[in-house]
Amino acid sequence: MDHRKQQQQQQRSDPRLKKCPFCLKTTKYIDYKDYPTIKPFMDYFGNIMKRYYSGLCLKHQKMLKNAIERARFMGMVSYRK
Amino acid sequence: MTSFVPTSEDTAIYEFCVLYPANLSQKEEQTLLKGMEEIFTEAEAKQLLRDAWGRRGLAYPIKKQTEGNFIVFYFEMDPQKLKEVNRQLGILPNLLRHLVVKPPKGYEVVKYSEHFEQWLKDRATAVETQRKEEETRLQRKVVAKAKIQAKRTEAKKKEVTSTLEEADLSKKLDELISDDTLGL
Repeated sequence: MDHRKQQQQQQRSDPRLKKCPFCLKTTKYIDYKDYPTIKPFMDYFGNIMKRYYSGLCLKHQKMLKNAIERARFMGMVSYRK
Repeated sequence: MTSFVPTSEDTAIYEFCVLYPANLSQKEEQTLLKGMEEIFTEAEAKQLLRDAWGRRGLAYPIKKQTEGNFIVFYFEMDPQKLKEVNRQLGILPNLLRHLVVKPPKGYEVVKYSEHFEQWLKDRATAVETQRKEEETRLQRKVVAKAKIQAKRTEAKKKEVTSTLEEADLSKKLDELISDDTLGL
């Protein structure tokens, strides 16, 4: 039993311990024209990643959502693959 | 890297992003650009920067177009005239999309080509650092393996010596046992 527990801990870190990557850089604005920063927070189908998985704070998740929706409107990023 | 600051309190800085199809004839393109210029001159907007991205593919077809030209403008203008400009841009023919954004304070404007070059450099450095990390990891692995190997060889040598000693002991014992003078 103990062994199994250890294995699980090794496989997956606690999601609550993740830190917001934008907070670490003290980002104040996420640009919709900046594809490389937006891309890692979208999955293959063009959905925005959940906060639980990306570890973003609420403030930056809202900024990211705004940026992605603008980029989608301008045809830089797809709505749905 | 430049950041624009409005010259007076009545004006603000706006970022206009415009998308038009790539397969327009030169005449149509000229008329479209002229129309846009007219709209902005009517609103007394002062152009600060014009960044043409050039022809690029779209993520999804818009009005059956799969390729388009992007242009990003930065204008300083009266906020009350923005609504009219927005409406006029919406009416303009041959314009697929337009988007107006008010950049936040201290927003640093970077041209698309410069941004792309910076990204290329960053990527190259990232690849290099990754390679270096991989190399150091491999070296560590090799060193650890060598250590283990050395330990093993030492252990083997010891084993060999101990077995030799045992053989000697057994021989001596045999001699002792076979010795008749002791009278065992």
